[in-house]
Amino acid sequence: MTPWPPLLALLIVVPLTGAVITPVVGRTRAVRSANWSLGVMLATSVIALVLVVQVARVGPFSYVVGGWVAPYGIELRFDEFGAVIAVICLLGTLAIVFSRRYAARAMAEQRIPYYYALLLLNLTGMIGFAVTGDLFNLFVFMEILSLSGYALVAVSGEKIAEMAAFKYLIMGAISSLVILLAIGILYALTGSLNMADVTERLGGAPAAPLAVAFGALTLGFMVKAAAFPLHIWLPDAHAIAPSPVSAILSGLVVKVGIIGMLRVYQIAYGSGAVDMTALNTVLMWLGALSIVMGAFFAVFQDDIKMMLAYSTISNIGYIIMGLGLASSYGMIGASVHVFNHAIIKATLFLGAGALIFQTGKRTLTDLAGVGHAMPWTVAAISVGAISIVGIPPTAGFVCKWYIALGAVQAGHPFFAFALVFGALFIFIYYIRMVNAFYFRQPRDPAILEVTEAPASMLVPVLILASLCLIMGVMGSVPLSFIEPAVQRLLLPLGGG
Amino acid sequence: MIAALWHNLDYAASVILFCIGLYAVITKENLIKKFMGLNIMETAVFAFIVAIGVVDGGEAPIMGPGVEPPFINPLPQALILTGIVVALSTTALALSLIIRIWRQCGTIEADELREVE
Repeated sequence: MTPWPPLLALLIVVPLTGAVITPVVGRTRAVRSANWSLGVMLATSVIALVLVVQVARVGPFSYVVGGWVAPYGIELRFDEFGAVIAVICLLGTLAIVFSRRYAARAMAEQRIPYYYALLLLNLTGMIGFAVTGDLFNLFVFMEILSLSGYALVAVSGEKIAEMAAFKYLIMGAISSLVILLAIGILYALTGSLNMADVTERLGGAPAAPLAVAFGALTLGFMVKAAAFPLHIWLPDAHAIAPSPVSAILSGLVVKVGIIGMLRVYQIAYGSGAVDMTALNTVLMWLGALSIVMGAFFAVFQDDIKMMLAYSTISNIGYIIMGLGLASSYGMIGASVHVFNHAIIKATLFLGAGALIFQTGKRTLTDLAGVGHAMPWTVAAISVGAISIVGIPPTAGFVCKWYIALGAVQAGHPFFAFALVFGALFIFIYYIRMVNAFYFRQPRDPAILEVTEAPASMLVPVLILASLCLIMGVMGSVPLSFIEPAVQRLLLPLGGG
Repeated sequence: MIAALWHNLDYAASVILFCIGLYAVITKENLIKKFMGLNIMETAVFAFIVAIGVVDGGEAPIMGPGVEPPFINPLPQALILTGIVVALSTTALALSLIIRIWRQCGTIEADELREVE
């Protein structure tokens, strides 16, 4: 029996219902929809916290939807990887707080409630994706979050916003279809859609369709995660979206591909029917390529949000490489980087959003000298920049160190070299950014007259920046939290 | 080889359809045609999954007196019903994006749009 109240079901029901009601709540006064969605996210965060504490105490648990026992019904399953919901709720709440002033300026008032509704739907999709134990349900939540994501990119009203959203939609829809095709093949092979059940029944399945299915799943999730040659949709979409949405897209939505890959690994390793060696090699190279190429493109960007978008590609590269190494250190580093990168990138995007909101400028050349006018925001961005480069004692260091250890552990020291090389590149362009903010002569002296960002923008940025430091100083907590899940995952390989 | 292909004609047809759709998405410059290619790909995947559930000589699994197995598996059909809803919302969103692109840029040809950017 599941304990009452069924928190795992409420975790999805609360934000989903909240999202649908938001336009009604904000019908007469738009500001009500902001308060309402903030309340919904706070309630969801409380539920998420209780669940994360529970999984840390007793390990994975599940909830049977509608009394239909697995494998017949849909099963919600919560494990350590699912703890990413804590970050989803945190970033969601802060992005909603941040949106208050942004939406009031950028959107017509009657559209604001729909913006919040889309934001909540997007977060619901991600929460559902992280906790479902059913393959088709996974697809449905993926589509909820992707569709609301495409729409959110188009919200900003920039000239090429619709084109960026359309490009994102085409790539996203193709990858979703490829994933659906793979789910269909897995169903044909096993007669089940429940992940645990599929894992059990997969043994003895013919090799060719299995290879197609797992290849298609990897391909689809790599498009979602924007690994290097499949990244073309990302820079425009993330740079043009409204800043709070960029923080969500870059911090969380690309991680959907990573969480999806972790689920694929759970099925593949758990069943023992699939040889992942070839795919892992592909992932390692994809990761290394993404690190170097993402950093390479970022160096040449002058638009601050464009630069951050390319930096996401290299950081996703770290995570993909960590997964592909299939060693326990690499896997732990990659899983923790999913959390840490979300926090760091949200700091940077929200900070950049505050700068753009106050100054109306978005290139490094125009923003030169802004550090004297908006000291708190720029200080927070600098903390984020130091974290993402991976200088101790910040959040980025722990994960990259673990992934490098994982590369050595797996017998591929070359990839540890690629990682350090990438980190140097990343160092170059973040130093360039911090240098421009503090030490370059302002191009337009008016920038020194700009005032500090309003509290509803500054507070989320400062909270995130302090989390960057806290996650670095207390780096061992998430590592030891995720370790049991990784050990369980790698157990069939002889413990990694 | 030919016999195996003939026996799995439904699967082969959906693979061909999928490739036709992908070709249209990649090569067509008109955004609506691009999106129609995506719709063809969607149809191909849906047809493939429905075909999984088909049993030779099977009937609809509606219980009652005088109904004999074999039955067709209804689950893939239920799944695809959801899939069609998803495809419908994707189509609605894409078309409304195309309308807004046309209003802003005055064209929906991808090559001309690149010049506008």
